[in-house]
Parts: sequence; C-alpha cells; structure tokens
Amino acid sequence: MSAIESLIGEFGRLPGIGRKTAQRLTYHLLKGRPEDARRLAEAIDRVLAEVKPCAECGNLSSEAPCEYCRNSRRDPAQVCVVEEASDIAAIEASGRFRGRYHVLGGHLSPLDGVGPDELNIARLLERLEVGVSELIIATNPSVEGEATAAYLHRAVSRFPGLRVTRLARGLPVGGDLEYADGVTIAEAFSGRREM
Amino acid sequence: MPSSASAPIEATGQARSASLERLVARNYRNFGDLQLELPEAGAMIIGPNGSGKTNLLEAIYYLEIFRSFRGARDAELVRFGEDVFRVEGTVRTGESRDALAAAYQKTGRRKKVELDGAEKERIGDALGTLGAVVLSLEDADLVCGSPGRRRRFLDILLSLVAPGYLASLQRYRAVLAQRNEALRQGATGMVEVWTEGLVEPGARVMAEREAWIESSAAAFARYHEEIADGWTGRLAYEPALGGKADSREPAVGGGVAENRAGYGTEDRVAAWKDELRRAVSENRERDRRRGSTQAGPHRDDLAIRAVVEDSGEERDLRAYGSGGQQRTAAIALRLVEADTLRDKLGRDPIYLLDDVFAELDRDRAARVVRLLDEGRSGQVLLTAPKPSDVELRGGGLARWRIREGVVFTDG
Repeated sequence: MSAIESLIGEFGRLPGIGRKTAQRLTYHLLKGRPEDARRLAEAIDRVLAEVKPCAECGNLSSEAPCEYCRNSRRDPAQVCVVEEASDIAAIEASGRFRGRYHVLGGHLSPLDGVGPDELNIARLLERLEVGVSELIIATNPSVEGEATAAYLHRAVSRFPGLRVTRLARGLPVGGDLEYADGVTIAEAFSGRREM
Repeated sequence: MPSSASAPIEATGQARSASLERLVARNYRNFGDLQLELPEAGAMIIGPNGSGKTNLLEAIYYLEIFRSFRGARDAELVRFGEDVFRVEGTVRTGESRDALAAAYQKTGRRKKVELDGAEKERIGDALGTLGAVVLSLEDADLVCGSPGRRRRFLDILLSLVAPGYLASLQRYRAVLAQRNEALRQGATGMVEVWTEGLVEPGARVMAEREAWIESSAAAFARYHEEIADGWTGRLAYEPALGGKADSREPAVGGGVAENRAGYGTEDRVAAWKDELRRAVSENRERDRRRGSTQAGPHRDDLAIRAVVEDSGEERDLRAYGSGGQQRTAAIALRLVEADTLRDKLGRDPIYLLDDVFAELDRDRAARVVRLLDEGRSGQVLLTAPKPSDVELRGGGLARWRIREGVVFTDG
C-alpha cells in the first residue's frame, strides 16, 4: 500500500470520518506546509507519550494524579461518575460541579461483551471506602447508560451512609416541546417542580 | 416506453383530499425508469401475474414507510444487476405539494430519504407524509399469520399516527436485545439491571396498542358485520404478561375509550408499567431457563374474533377462520386503519388496492366496494390481473395496463 493510501486508511478509521473526508485531510496535509503536518504528527506522538489514565479516577491526563484529583480546592466527598473522560469537559464547561470525577471507560453492554470487569468499577468501590459522602451518577441517558447506572446503584448499596444521585433528565434548554420524544416528555413530567 | 397520463379526472366531492400526482421509480424491482402522472381519482391497473402490479403499489407505499410493505429487505428491491434504486413522488394536498424521495444503495447499505429536496437525517421524520393505506390479497395473513405479523401491523400504524411510539419501540427493542444477551451469557446479577429500562418504553408501547385497539373496536365490528353479513367482528388486546393468553376486551381499559385522540394516556402508561414490572419479575426463572425475556410487548397479540350476535357463537379467526372469513376480517382491519390515518391527516388517505377483490364472491365484493366508496374520496390505485366490472369513484378511474414493468396509460 502506498504512503498516501495508508494515511487515508488511518484517517478513515477515526470516528465520523468517511473515505472522502479521509482523502481530503490527506491531500490537505500534503499540499500545506510540511511543518504543519509535522506538528500534527508530533502532537499525536506527545499525547501518546505523556497522557495516561489517572490511577485515582481513570481520567486521561498528562499529570499523575490528574488535575482534578490533585486540586485541593475540589471536594473529595463528592464523586461524579462518567462513562468517558471526554464527558468531564462537558460537565466542567457548566462550572456547576466542584467535586472529583470517576471515569468508567464505557458502559455495560452484553452485546459488545462489556461487563462490570471491563469497566473501572473496582477502583471506584475502593475510593468509596474513604471520605466520600455523595456519588453522582452521570452516565448517559442511553439504554446502556441507564443499565450501568442501575448496576452501580446496586453495587454501592453496601455503603450505608452514601448518598447516591442521578443527573435529572428532561427537556433540553432551548428545546421545543413538540419535537421531544414521548419518553423524554414523560421523564420531564415525573420530574416536574413547584414554581 | 415512456408513458404520459391520461387527462385528469374531475375531483370527487370532499373538500380536503390528497393525491399522488407523479411517481418515478428507477431500478426498483422490475422497473427500469418508470415515470407516471397519476389522475386525481386514481387508476385501475390491469396486468398478468409477474408484470409488476404489486411492485408498483409497493414502490408507492415505500414513500410512506420507507420499507417494503411485503416485508422484503431493501437490497431485494434493487433491480437485478443494479446498485441503487430511487423512488420519487409528488403529493398534492389542496394547493400545496410535497416532494418525497427515497433511495437505497446496496454497496454500503445506504438509505436516503428526502422531503421537499432536503435530506432527512432521521427517516422517522418523513414517515407518513404520503398518507396511504394498502389493501392486499395477502392481507389474510394479517389474521391467520403469526402474532408477529399483527404486531408489525400495529407497529407500522402507530408509528405513523402516535407521536413517540416509534422512539419507544426502538428503545424497548434495544434494551430487550441487551437483556436477552445477558440472559444467554448467564451472568447472574447482570440481567436485572436491564429490567427497569424495559419497563418505561415497554409500557408506552402497550398503552398505545391498547388505546388504538379500544378506540377501533366499534368501527371494526361495524365494517366486519357489513362485509360478512351477520357476523360481527371483535378486536381485543392480548398483552403478553407471561401467563396464559390474557385477552383484554375493550371494557377493561378504564377511561381510554372516551379519549379517542389521546393514544396512551399517562394513567394507562403508569398502570402498564406496574403490570410489566411485575410480569418480568415473576418470569425471572423462566427467562433464565430459556435464555430470553418471556413477558413484554414483543410477544403481544391482537385477538380477532367473529361473533354471531343471535346465537352468541364466537370464533377466533386467527386459528379457526375460513380463508374467506380471514380476508373479510383483514379488509375490515384495513378500513379501520384508513380511518385512523384520516383522523391523523385530516384527509382521506390514498388507497392502494392490490387485487383485493380476487377471491371475494360478487356480493362481498360489492359490499367492500360500497365501504370503499361511501364517505371516502381518497385517490384509488387498484390492480387486477383481468379487467373487472368493479366500479370505484363513480367509474372515474383511468384504465391502465402494465406489462413487464412498463405502464401503458393509453387505455
């Protein structure tokens, strides 16, 4: 396989990138300045060399422990469980949460052969042994995310004082009621609040 | 041979109606490049077996549900030796026109749906825009076929008319697949985490089915009685709660019947949630033994019975109906489907009649014709192997012939 073909093939394996886009990216790099392409290659090299899962929480970081685990201003008594490290960025952007995180590295999916042992759950249970008062389960509201939440809820039942919460579900802000699906509207109804 | 339309037929009485004005089918089944302008009242299409009559109606209905109504896979719809089929239609409702298009490519298994030139990201968003109902000779299968055949009927119809039904059904199926896989793997403790996920979308599916069946029972009885001359028809919901067949006659529903437009009221969803949760929990052992989930709407059925009012004699048509009785019940069911679509669309649907009169005796055929004509003005596309004396829409249907995938509109 030619060098060009092999780069197109590599780009094409990335999520959301089809063959056409892979070709465009490849020729874009070839047409541009060599140092631009080299910077991309070096950036990839560098994340591979430096970034590791945090031994404490599973977040991907070039620091060990990661920036959230070492930040003493973040409350270690509140732990928010997410499926992927990339979910942390979304929660951080809200600025609402000042506790620590725990990254599972996926969700339960028997169809994909993913059970509890494939997820970063054992370490979570260890962390709960000391000084955690609230566990916030922020797995996705997908079929698999919900089942993972149900599993975690059961798995942490042996910590009697622990408060376990789940992120609320309902209508998206700026969303239109008529375009929401029945399940979402039903959830929003059961989660309605006094005004 | 390219075909041009005969002169449009004068509009029938009703104020609001819609018609398919134009149809293009490229490399669909046995059509190479079919282009048709369709009369507003409709057409009777005559052709021998294998000429493409059913394919034509299937292509039109593809624009309604973006699947074959015969249950064929998309790849089977592509003409032999080709890679892509494309179907286009223009629907006129009053003065407004909608352009619908669907295409499927075998390589890459890509399906594309366009509404007024814009590609729809989710096919569900264009579902039901055409507004059509198919009555087919093969519909007897609806009555005598497996329960899956009747669930498919309910699922297609409710996806078209009940907001959120399709999303609930898809979510239910996704959870079910995971739960069954967990059961097969036999990992104890890994099964129950999927159960609650079944309950919410499953209850919603059940409530919608129940509500439709209850609100349709009276119309079904009436149509059935009119066609079958004395035998009245009964519909009942049979939810699969893991016990013996559990037929719900309409009276049990409690508060749904008077709320015809309100498919699946929240009260009923809540009630089904409790029942489904209980049933799944009671079947835990059986689920484990069989390696699959036993209770739930994926095993529901729709009971179809015929009753002689005077003697009270009752017959379950699914198992004990004659061919004629089963066809009669199927036609009555399709007429109720047409009414449901009309409620939703605010106009008559387009009637696609695939050789429906073939195996009915003269009297029955005449009664079906009357039901299709009285108070119904929707465009009719009727296929038959031979010219017949069936008259619909006041004899206003154009007479077309079809042969080897080519339609001749010159009479």
